[in-house]
Amino acid sequence: MKVRGEQTLPLEPASAWELLLNTDALARAMPGCEGLTPLGPDEYEMKMKIAVASIQGLFAGKVRIADRNPPDSYRLHIEGQGKLGFVRGSGLLSLSPDATGTRITYEGEVQVGGLIASVGERMLDVTTKMMIGRFFNNLAQQAHEQS
Amino acid sequence: MIPQSFEYSAPESVSEALRLLGSVENSRVLAGGQSLIPMMKLRLSGPAHVIDLGRIAELHYIAQTNGSVRLGAMSTHNQVAVSETLRRSCPLLAEVAGRIGDPQVRNLGTIGGSTAHADPAADYPAALQALRAQIRLVGAGQERTVSAEDFFLDAFTTALGEGEIVYEVIVPADAPGLGSAYVKLQQPASGFAVAGVAAQVAVSGGQISTARVGITGVGAKSYVAQAVENALVGRPATAATLAQASRLAAQGVEALNDLYAQADYRTHMAQVATRRALQQALALAK
Repeated sequence: MKVRGEQTLPLEPASAWELLLNTDALARAMPGCEGLTPLGPDEYEMKMKIAVASIQGLFAGKVRIADRNPPDSYRLHIEGQGKLGFVRGSGLLSLSPDATGTRITYEGEVQVGGLIASVGERMLDVTTKMMIGRFFNNLAQQAHEQS
Repeated sequence: MIPQSFEYSAPESVSEALRLLGSVENSRVLAGGQSLIPMMKLRLSGPAHVIDLGRIAELHYIAQTNGSVRLGAMSTHNQVAVSETLRRSCPLLAEVAGRIGDPQVRNLGTIGGSTAHADPAADYPAALQALRAQIRLVGAGQERTVSAEDFFLDAFTTALGEGEIVYEVIVPADAPGLGSAYVKLQQPASGFAVAGVAAQVAVSGGQISTARVGITGVGAKSYVAQAVENALVGRPATAATLAQASRLAAQGVEALNDLYAQADYRTHMAQVATRRALQQALALAK
């Protein structure tokens, strides 16, 4: 499924870029993320505890940062697997200055498969978008605390 | 289709249920079980402890008190659908309850469970939004009342805090002359709403004096269609007014997308269901 959206951070582009590449900030912003452990350059191990409605599940996987083009854009790859199924996503985050700070535009693609996709198809679109929305809202929250 | 093993308690009072909820790790409240049990059987959900509210007598009632009807959280959909009190004082809620799922679901599912679960395609939220219902929540040693608009925050996400349960739902009794209707286009297999619209209309001197519209199934959460309401009140009660207002049904809402109904189709169906619900409500308004 395709996802896109935008969020404004009350930060200068240079500070916004830093926040978006700060793994502690990213880990805190990802819903249910229990931390990112470096595996190599721009690659991290990820553990995520998902809880939506009565569904609970642990996902383990990787987060990778690619195509760095400071301070304009980079690509974020996420993949995770658990008993409930798998999630794979990739999105391009573009930064542009605007009146109140920096606007982040994201555009990407998410795939969900396995048990959760076969029985919960009706809920996939809405929950995926909700998780992504929370991620960017959490980042904005952190940016507010910083500014 | 066999759940993971779990502890089970069936307390007989709300205070005992709250005590258990606050003291047991990874516990989950069971109301009618029409969403939780399938998830447990598929092992998408694996609570360590299930607290069944089914034996709590104080949560079973539908009662009229000055100007409003109060429904205990454990009122089943069927009890709501056939309630004489509601048929008289708030027929919209009874009509919506009668359209939920199938007879098995209606005999077990409850208004409190459905409300707390907050499925974006559930039927009740459309009515609760349109009616400006209040939801009373209780937690250990405290309680609060939240409007439907502030209660439903996102898909499967509500204002319900940790350690709280839904105690009752409060809806206003209809003012005289009010007409109401619920129209839903549904996913044929599940019965869940692709677009479900609950509407209330009152007319005075040929003009629409009251219009309330709640919509479910279209976006990530149910909502009050404020733009539609604004486009109705004070205008002549004609088909043209209704048609024009209905076009605003999904204004500013990012429509859901699934294999059965794509976002643009859903948006269009929201407009169609809104027009039909308004026509039916208007026909019943006196």
